[in-house]
Amino acid sequence: MANVRCLQKVIRLQKFVLPINAQGCWLAISTVTPAAVLTLQQQRPVFLPSYAVGRSYSSSSDNLDEFRAREEQRERERDAAEQKAYKATMSDAGGGAGIGGGGAPPDEEQSAKQAKVDAIRTRILDAALLHVPELGWTKQAIVQGAEESGFPSVVHGMFPDGGFALVSHFNGKCNAELVQSLQKRTDNGQKEVGDPLDFLVQAVRQRLSMIEPFKKQWPQAMALIAQPANASTALAQVLTLVDDICYYSGDRSVDFGWYTRRVGLATIMKMTELYMLQDTSAGHAQTWEFLKNRMDEAVQLQMALAQTEGMTQTFQRSFNSAFITARNILGLGYSRH
Amino acid sequence: MQTTRNLCNLTRYILRRTVATTANDTTGSAGGGAGGSEQTTHFGYQTVKESEKERKVHEVFQQVAQSYDLMNDAMSMGIHRVWKDIFVERLGPEHGMRLLDMAGGTGDISFRYLKYLAKMPNPKQRESHVTVSDINQHMLNVGEERARQLGLTADRLPNASIAWQCADAEKLPFKSDTYTAYTIAFGIRNCTHVDKVLSEAYRVLQPGGRFMCLEFSHLTNETMQWLYDQYSFQVIPPMGQLLAGQWHAYQYLVESIRRFPRQDEFKSMIERAGFSHVSYENLTFGVVSIHSGFKL
Repeated sequence: MANVRCLQKVIRLQKFVLPINAQGCWLAISTVTPAAVLTLQQQRPVFLPSYAVGRSYSSSSDNLDEFRAREEQRERERDAAEQKAYKATMSDAGGGAGIGGGGAPPDEEQSAKQAKVDAIRTRILDAALLHVPELGWTKQAIVQGAEESGFPSVVHGMFPDGGFALVSHFNGKCNAELVQSLQKRTDNGQKEVGDPLDFLVQAVRQRLSMIEPFKKQWPQAMALIAQPANASTALAQVLTLVDDICYYSGDRSVDFGWYTRRVGLATIMKMTELYMLQDTSAGHAQTWEFLKNRMDEAVQLQMALAQTEGMTQTFQRSFNSAFITARNILGLGYSRH
Repeated sequence: MQTTRNLCNLTRYILRRTVATTANDTTGSAGGGAGGSEQTTHFGYQTVKESEKERKVHEVFQQVAQSYDLMNDAMSMGIHRVWKDIFVERLGPEHGMRLLDMAGGTGDISFRYLKYLAKMPNPKQRESHVTVSDINQHMLNVGEERARQLGLTADRLPNASIAWQCADAEKLPFKSDTYTAYTIAFGIRNCTHVDKVLSEAYRVLQPGGRFMCLEFSHLTNETMQWLYDQYSFQVIPPMGQLLAGQWHAYQYLVESIRRFPRQDEFKSMIERAGFSHVSYENLTFGVVSIHSGFKL
């Protein structure tokens, strides 16, 4: 518990330091910190041995849901309070530097402006996606998309990442689509899934089917994803996706299995994605076969690990802390939207 | 190779130089019999009347027009070429663009832009355009002469046109929504009303158009700033005296850099002019920075 408090303090401190150092606009910061708090929230149960139940797959107990709801509520309240405090410091800083004058637009106006920019970005990228089969994941496709949306070609400067902006937009869009369909299927996570394994297989299959129209260009996209500069966004996207899939499959676990399941699923998904690239069978039948086999293996492995839990505890603990550190570093700056 | 050639040029220039050759022509803007109530602005570290600044800046550039390129090379040790290359790279020209290169007198940005386009395939044969604009006709003359030497004239450029226009950045003689990009490289610092320049830029740009500014800025590192200050105040003015016979013009240059707003402040000025998605990038620790904004 002391650790959690300490972490929270560090993050809060970071929030006050950031506005001074950060060059980006304050909006970027406001998206960073909730993500950080969220990460923290997800980790909290790990520190609490009283909640560490063994294998809790699809055994969602009521008090756990209550606990979650309570925590989420608290999280929202704290976010709101911090947002308010942050705004106060921002306006102070603006006045102090003597640049605010009286012309500084209120926050609402600024966020409306940001929303408009985001809408335009989305419109351009959506239009650009139609040109990917012919031009690839490139700046050229974005230029085409921009011109079709009625903007001059120079607007491509809004996407300094070039092709990767297009890839991450596409991934984000597919992920949102998948989550929506999962929500529909499970009644927003309320309905229990009969066969979680089959549910996972179906979800991964559905997600991978979405890249079929771009299969020819997908190796290029994967190369962009693998570039060190883009890796953190791409990894955060994958982790968020597998987290969503696991959640809707009924995984309410709060023990270390939370991580192994997610990392395992992400690995299997990426492996299947690679397999799919060179699969020429009709309707990718071999890919789905491959996926099923890997999932079965994962289940067996997990069972073996569960049986030897006592022996591997030290290893688990050290792996645990390493993973938390890694996730904090990688997932921190990512916002799903 | 480049450096040796520059060095040779430099020595030749010093040897050839006897006295300041450019005549001190003060026929710029007359300034008018403005009363004592007129607003003041800064000219380097001096405080002058607003109407006077324009004339003074005009004088400075008239004096340095001839030796402008040489001095740029000498003072920045050739790095200004790299900055300009990066600037055009960030702009990412595409065929069919209409660029207004404001304060682009000697054509540094425009020539890079035209060369960039010439190297790109143009399957649809789309026409591109650039208007080089400067408040100082002397600078434009130098640029036009250079364009002739480089073979970048209208009749020899495929699918691209170039126009030269003497214009004040605060009162552009162009219709609204006519350009897709507006660049101003090392120019905005010399304007009297930066806010007017920005709003004029906003006016002439089409929706979706991009504003880009390359300008001297402030270093992020204290130690580097100290080093840079030493260089600016101790080396540049004497160098200006030696190579161009102009101490005061270069004294003005380094002082005006110090008076220009910092990166974040300038960013919010651009935002106030109406631009969206404004960002900046520091080059060489912040000696110069590239600001970019979009009219959406």
